[in-house]
Amino acid sequence: MLSILMRKVLVLNESDNIAVCLVDLDIGEVIAQDGLNLTIQNRIPRGHKVASKDIAKDAGIIKYGERMGHATSDIKIGEHVHTHNVLGDRLSTEQVK
Amino acid sequence: MSMNGFDHGNRGIGVRNHQLILPSVVCSTRVSSRIAKELGAVTFAHQHGCGFIGNDVGRITDYFAALANHPNVSSTLIVGLGCETLQGNELADKLLSKNKSTNYLVTQESGGVQGTVDSGVASAKDLQNRFPTPKVSLPRLHLGIDLSNESPVVTDLVAALADVGVDVTVSSSHKNSGLNFSDLMEAGVHVILSFPDSNQPASGFPLIPTINVASNSPLHLALTDDFDLSASSSVAEIIEKIYAVVNGELTKVEAIGAGEIIAAREVRSV
Amino acid sequence: MSNQLTAFERSDGRWGLRNHVLILPLHSAFSATARKIADDSSGAVAVSHDWSGEIDGDFDRIVKTISGFAANPNNFATIFITIGTPNELAIIELAKKIGLGKFEVLNVAELGSMSKIADIGLQMANSLLKEAKASQRISAPWSAIKLGQECGGSDALSGITANPALGVASDRLVELGSSSVLGETTEILGAEHLLAARAITPEIGARIVETVARYERSINYEGIDMRGAQPSRGNIEGGLTTLEEKSLGAAKKAGSAQFSGVFEYADQVVNPGLYFMDTPGHDTEQLTGFAAAGINIVVFTTGRGTPTGSAIVPTIKVATNTTMASAIPDLIDLNAGTIADGLKTLADVGGELFDLILEVANGKLTKAEKGLHHEFSLSRMYNTVIR
Repeated sequence: MLSILMRKVLVLNESDNIAVCLVDLDIGEVIAQDGLNLTIQNRIPRGHKVASKDIAKDAGIIKYGERMGHATSDIKIGEHVHTHNVLGDRLSTEQVK
Repeated sequence: MSMNGFDHGNRGIGVRNHQLILPSVVCSTRVSSRIAKELGAVTFAHQHGCGFIGNDVGRITDYFAALANHPNVSSTLIVGLGCETLQGNELADKLLSKNKSTNYLVTQESGGVQGTVDSGVASAKDLQNRFPTPKVSLPRLHLGIDLSNESPVVTDLVAALADVGVDVTVSSSHKNSGLNFSDLMEAGVHVILSFPDSNQPASGFPLIPTINVASNSPLHLALTDDFDLSASSSVAEIIEKIYAVVNGELTKVEAIGAGEIIAAREVRSV
Repeated sequence: MSNQLTAFERSDGRWGLRNHVLILPLHSAFSATARKIADDSSGAVAVSHDWSGEIDGDFDRIVKTISGFAANPNNFATIFITIGTPNELAIIELAKKIGLGKFEVLNVAELGSMSKIADIGLQMANSLLKEAKASQRISAPWSAIKLGQECGGSDALSGITANPALGVASDRLVELGSSSVLGETTEILGAEHLLAARAITPEIGARIVETVARYERSINYEGIDMRGAQPSRGNIEGGLTTLEEKSLGAAKKAGSAQFSGVFEYADQVVNPGLYFMDTPGHDTEQLTGFAAAGINIVVFTTGRGTPTGSAIVPTIKVATNTTMASAIPDLIDLNAGTIADGLKTLADVGGELFDLILEVANGKLTKAEKGLHHEFSLSRMYNTVIR
């Protein structure tokens, strides 16, 4: 098992469609671990999410194997997943500017 | 009657020369009190700045801005934590456009608690040195009256004050003096004359000297030492006390520091 | 009986993990006097607040909070400062019913002025402190521990490192017979179905779900987008995108034990087991409610770093990431970021946290206690419509 130390991203549950970045990741970095094979499409800060699969608009964002919200636009594998392309299902109305 | 004043630039001329250490969120109230204690500056405890929504965010931001821009304030150091809803830096930028004697610190970015206390004290001293406060005469006094309790003397008093060119703002929308004090602060009054409700003690407001007038209620009669004036004080005696306080005499509650800041809210914390 | 835990036994059989002399103003005007007495004394603690006796929609909640706070078993004695109105005296009576320890009442109306109160209160505080220092800890059962779980300034690693580590320690304490309480209703919204599935009865599970639904209805009624508050600006910068995501991470604080019940805000926590309490996500309103409920120790996980604590409840700060723990160490007691760094396992850090909880319960001071972080916040609904 690849120790976390070597990992740049963390997959929390196999049904997740995102992975958590353990370090700041820059455009072009390749992630090839835990069955992942993706290239980082935009700069992603530590702790933020990267799409580990293509996610269609309105599709659920899955983390810890559970739904945490939905995509507000199509998201490509390797792209930064955050407030600009995701909204909660509950108690979240407008987009945070 | 000449009145002493402190020239606080855009804030106007005040009757006290308070440096304000403003915690923009509850999580920086302790750090702010440590900074204030070392400098003899004014600060206050509160529970706002995070986990609040809707109109309350703008309302509290404007309230803190009014505190920082009050004429009795010489300079303001805002102390935030970093992750809170009301961002200290955004509040500071809003204030800096009006008053250069403003600065801010964020605990999460200045080395934690001790680091923030040390740089906070240094920053506050720097503000004091860069923005000294010249003593001037106060051209016009703006008096606030907290009418939480009715008093027969008020009508004649307001007339007499007008005769001597004192601007008066009366607040009686709340039975709770604390909320009336907040309204009067936002109106920018120099001094507050308070008629507390019959079963309320004397209290004050950290930045604004507050003169308490007792009623004849059992509680007030039992607490005479905390009141500056009594139910039998004449208009002349009241005006004489107001001028004494303007010229530096500490009121009873001012000497103790009694009175917390009460900021109005609409919706629960989330 | 555990051979490792020692505590102060109270006359009503509850246990204190601290032996405080608390100066408690029952009116906001006396907060300054309370602070002065505590500062001048040889170790008393004081709280400040902005309640001046108003009787409004929040009256019952405030009376319940202040009286419970006074009756917390970590208080050896409480000195009340009051103007003697019926409502303020009712708070003292309610505290007695809950389990008030030694107490004194400084009635300003009888003593004549606030400055007199300061002098008399200081002598009283110092003599009570001498008495408190003379009383001894004795060996205590694990049921003496009433643990509060809290998170504040969370980031994306909260649900991966610090919160699960707290879950490990909480599970172990619950197994041994302690009480452990998860709160912050806002921050289980989106994960309540996972918690409800672990309730020991369907009725308790339904109450967990209903507590969150009630909250959601009251916020929906306000028609306000919560982001910027929940998740907060720092949460969002730390990688938390939605409230549900934050909740899925926050819920991990409760480990895997079964839920034995649901409490309203500041209900008394008496029996062993894992519980959920309806508290706001606001850190200090939540911690004040826990203290009012008789919780006597708290673990507070944080990703962005916050120094807040309580005047009477030791609050252990656990960092979610090594970057923050090394940048601002003077407000962190334990770094769980080693889990994400691959240096330690969840079981390692959970074990370290359990040991630290025991050490703190036995008297070791936390960073928040050493820094005299005594934040106290009365939780109000204001005009929020509760449906």
